[in-house]
Amino acid sequence: MSNAKERKHAKKMRNQPTNVTLSSGFVADRGTKYHNGGGRHFHQAQKQEPFPGTSRQRQTKMTHHSPVDPDVKEQSSSKIMFKKKGGWKAGPEGMSQEIPKYITASTFAQARAAEISAMLKAVTQKSSNSLVFQTLPRHMRRRAMSHNVKRLPRRLREIAQKEAEKAVHQKKEHSKNKCHKARRCHKNRVLEFNRRQKKNIWLETHIWHAKRFHMVKKWGYCLGERPTVKSHRACYRAMTNRCLLQDLSYYCCLELKGKEEEILKALSPMCSIDAGLTFAAVHCLSGKCQGSVLLYRANRYPREMLGPVTFIWKSERTPSHTSESRQLWIWLHPMLKQDILEELKAACQCVEPIKPTICTPGPLLTTSEEKSQTELPDEKIGKKRKRKDDGENAKPVKKVIGDGTRDPHQPSSWISAATGIIISDLTMEMNRLRLIGPLSHSILTEALKAASVQTEGEDTEKTPHHWWIETCKNPDSVSLHHRQEAIFELLGGITSPAEIPSGTILGLTVGDPRINLPPKRSKVLPNPEKCQDNEKVRQLLLEGVPVDCAHSFIWNQAICKNVTENKISDQDLNRRRSELLVPGSQLVLGPQESKIPILLIQQPGKVTGDDRRGWGSGWDILFPKGWGMAFWIPFIYRGARVGGLKESVMHSQYKRSPDIPGDFPDCPAGVVFAEEQAKNLLEKYKRRPPAKRPNYVKLGTLAPFCCPWEQLAQEWESRVQAQEEPSVASSPSGEDSDSRRDKLPCAPTPENTDLWSDEGGTSLSSCSEPREAMDTECPARVGTEWVACQDATGSLLCVLRSRKWLKQLSTWCGPSSRDKRAARRASGSGEPAPTRAACLPLLERFPRALVWVSLALLRKGSPEPHSMICVPTEEDFLRLRQDQLYCGPQESKHSDPFKSEIRKQKERKKVEKRQNKQAPTEREGLAGGPPAAGHQALTLGLWSGPLPGVTSHCSRVLLGFVTQGDFSMAVGGGEALGFVSLTGLLDMLSTQPAAERGLVLLRAPASPQYRFARIAVEV
Amino acid sequence: MVRFKHRYLLCEVVSDDPRCRLSLEDRVLGGLIRDTIARVHGTFGAASCSIGFAVRYLNAYTGVVLLRCRKEFYHLVCSALPFITYLENKGHRYPCFLNTLHVGGTIRTCQKFLIHYNRRQLLILLQNCTDEGERQAIQKSVTRSCLLEERSDEEFSESGEEEAAEAVE
Repeated sequence: MSNAKERKHAKKMRNQPTNVTLSSGFVADRGTKYHNGGGRHFHQAQKQEPFPGTSRQRQTKMTHHSPVDPDVKEQSSSKIMFKKKGGWKAGPEGMSQEIPKYITASTFAQARAAEISAMLKAVTQKSSNSLVFQTLPRHMRRRAMSHNVKRLPRRLREIAQKEAEKAVHQKKEHSKNKCHKARRCHKNRVLEFNRRQKKNIWLETHIWHAKRFHMVKKWGYCLGERPTVKSHRACYRAMTNRCLLQDLSYYCCLELKGKEEEILKALSPMCSIDAGLTFAAVHCLSGKCQGSVLLYRANRYPREMLGPVTFIWKSERTPSHTSESRQLWIWLHPMLKQDILEELKAACQCVEPIKPTICTPGPLLTTSEEKSQTELPDEKIGKKRKRKDDGENAKPVKKVIGDGTRDPHQPSSWISAATGIIISDLTMEMNRLRLIGPLSHSILTEALKAASVQTEGEDTEKTPHHWWIETCKNPDSVSLHHRQEAIFELLGGITSPAEIPSGTILGLTVGDPRINLPPKRSKVLPNPEKCQDNEKVRQLLLEGVPVDCAHSFIWNQAICKNVTENKISDQDLNRRRSELLVPGSQLVLGPQESKIPILLIQQPGKVTGDDRRGWGSGWDILFPKGWGMAFWIPFIYRGARVGGLKESVMHSQYKRSPDIPGDFPDCPAGVVFAEEQAKNLLEKYKRRPPAKRPNYVKLGTLAPFCCPWEQLAQEWESRVQAQEEPSVASSPSGEDSDSRRDKLPCAPTPENTDLWSDEGGTSLSSCSEPREAMDTECPARVGTEWVACQDATGSLLCVLRSRKWLKQLSTWCGPSSRDKRAARRASGSGEPAPTRAACLPLLERFPRALVWVSLALLRKGSPEPHSMICVPTEEDFLRLRQDQLYCGPQESKHSDPFKSEIRKQKERKKVEKRQNKQAPTEREGLAGGPPAAGHQALTLGLWSGPLPGVTSHCSRVLLGFVTQGDFSMAVGGGEALGFVSLTGLLDMLSTQPAAERGLVLLRAPASPQYRFARIAVEV
Repeated sequence: MVRFKHRYLLCEVVSDDPRCRLSLEDRVLGGLIRDTIARVHGTFGAASCSIGFAVRYLNAYTGVVLLRCRKEFYHLVCSALPFITYLENKGHRYPCFLNTLHVGGTIRTCQKFLIHYNRRQLLILLQNCTDEGERQAIQKSVTRSCLLEERSDEEFSESGEEEAAEAVE
């Protein structure tokens, strides 16, 4: 019987009487007693009587042991009798050895009495492990007996009472000490929400999202991942035909304030012209357009990427004095924020933190006081009973707006003494909503109405919106507002946001969007009357919004704060609406209505490639914090569908743009993201039983959950080098050393290698030296030592982002229409084929680079993330040429070298277990065999330990990995995005025949089937 | 309920010889009864009674024995009991016989019966007692057995604590 079972049994038998035999404790005494006479013996025996009892008692319970005097022996014996566990306490014994002449009545009686007591104990006390309720027969049980003791029979009540008091059966203490109604009351809810926001930042639309979305905690925020309803296809349709709404308020905004030259000077080392436009791009600098840029660590351009950002300059109202202080907003993903903020601070030499005067509790208090003053009359009318006596309740609880997690004393802005630049962190100070799709114009114009200009005559002194009244006094501002309004109205007539120049910024001041909320949720339709093709529209489409119209009051912090604080509450608004004379008529607030400065930014859709240009374009709206729900609901009431994080990944995938941060393997955030993803996938994989999950070792997939970019780039480098060396030595027999050419039946002919050596012979010898010098740091045989040298080479990996070279690559990748033989012959001339010489400067500059490519499957199949991109062999092309429906080759089954090891480990474990089991019974002293530590736990189906050569592990040479891949509803076929090794890509392109140039094989991690795909580098 | 139903036989070992009580052990008694059944009812009887047969409680001082057997075959056991005429242990034979007091379905009913039975015995003893000293001793034990019921409450609370301690473990 196991230990637990024994204990259970012992507990059950605790109150049951045990057998009482005469031979139990008296064997030793037998001799001495034998000589005694009958009468005396009886007394002696009584003297001795307590001892077996007490000794037995000592075993069970130490507390009740006390030496017994002969005088009090009667009492003590009775006492012992009660306390003893077994129940039976021997009565006067000891006469047993003799044959007594007579029976004494008292011994007889005592024996009976002792037995009665033992039996009583057994009968009255429950002995089983069940509850009292369960001991009752069924017909005597009543409803809610366990809840109410008085429903039990009276004899069981006391026991049940004791049982109920025990901690185990008691209900857990109700965590909320308030009743449901109290918890639901507004004040307590706000308190509770404020408490819950302390760990992760909530967006203002959090509650709305939490009711409809699967929420995840990511990047310090609580974000909606995907809707709970099935809506994958519906979201795609919304993006293409209607409008998809997203809350991007979690994006971080960094503000740089200072002189223009100083800012540009500080930022110029962080970006490169080679990778595209920088902060100094003309149309961006004027404040007319939003720009996007890739940030690097200062002066480390091809390497040490920090991440992609978008930026807006504040437009100059008067272009005459440009040297004045300017404002720059940099918008970035929260995962990149830490790195970029540090780098910006270093670049601008901003070290001195400014005391956060905004966040001090002083202004907070005053505003709440103001609020309470304004709310006082309402309270008298509306609330029936409200305790006003205690001071705490008088002050209304303030809802957390913006970042609830931030410490108020943590500095959020930094100034530099040398350059005068102020960097401030405006995270969660503004809301950012994104509308994607052609209907976003209609929704915007329908939902937002430009603010009405206030004239002097009205009673302006009461309203809190002084800034707007001040603005309206200035005729220039009024005319600007009217122009902005006119342009905004024009937008309603434009069918798609893609028609407007990309990145256009339009500033506007709008009225409260809650005022003209439709009574029911509806779908807006584009108004055909508005679609007029006049001069103004044409000008807008050609030139975009004029520079001065990009001005908005949102740049002014004070106004933003005023707008946030003076927002009329939903409750107030609804009350006023209910007080209207005609129910459902338009509410006119007049000067009381809030005016909200907003900024509209056009988001370009698909900008690369040839097909579907402008797909997924839309508008971003920036507005001050606190107004999130006020803008959110009107948009939804106009028929916008809401997407989560998954939808934004889908959006970027169909746009064929890299997703932040998953598709930036060279920036630290991307590395962290990949690690996290690998961990999650591994956990998911391990949850399945080994027989129900793919064995990746047998499938030849070395890294199913993460992409070893570093190793891939290194291996390709050493591979190409190994190819070159024999060609430099110009010995045709040296080809045998290369493993890949052995596999390829139609390897480059000797004349071809001669051609190479002729073309690049001189330059190659010169350039190979620095590369070799580089390789001394990180050895060419990377297979085994890869992990060891990973840290040293971590900086070498980069992603090719030079526009010039990307354009060149994209022309090389495209299939040439010429006859393949002719193309091959004429590779040296102007034909777009990558030659050795053409590639050399590129390879020299980026020895270990990756290229962002998009892949389209030729036939069926939908690629998955972490699929492998492989180089097809000559044979594959041959079969493809013969059979147009040829799907692709299959990977043969690999052997699993770990299987036997795992089995051995299992056996070892089993043996150990058995030994451990035996240990307590047989060999206690040996302490149960050797410890099980020492060997790592292997997972069946996964490669363990350092990976061997990834490129040549399978029958087709590995070129890269897919990072995003799915069936694309936009194209109607499988599409994938991923990275390939630059060296490998060039090598493949140079050897492939022109007709099939750019064809690769794709293989999902859990499948042996290769499928053909066309590779494209899109710029 | 789904369970094996048993019959519990509450018997009293009556013997003139006090040494008989000395050798009263559960294993000896069990063997003795088994042998007797085999003798009286043959192999079939022995086999059918051997399943579930056990001596659940034995008190050498009072001679009370609680036997358990399957409900289906308790007649065999019952009818075999009168044929026990002596108790044999370590080569000694003591003449005795078994007196069946009660047949119950559970241990609990047997225990309850035993309490009543013992009380009655004590009272009879008290009535018939002539010696003054003896009489007082008997009275003491009678009151003790009655007092127990009140004391048992205390006992229970104590055991309750104990249980809690066990649960903590």
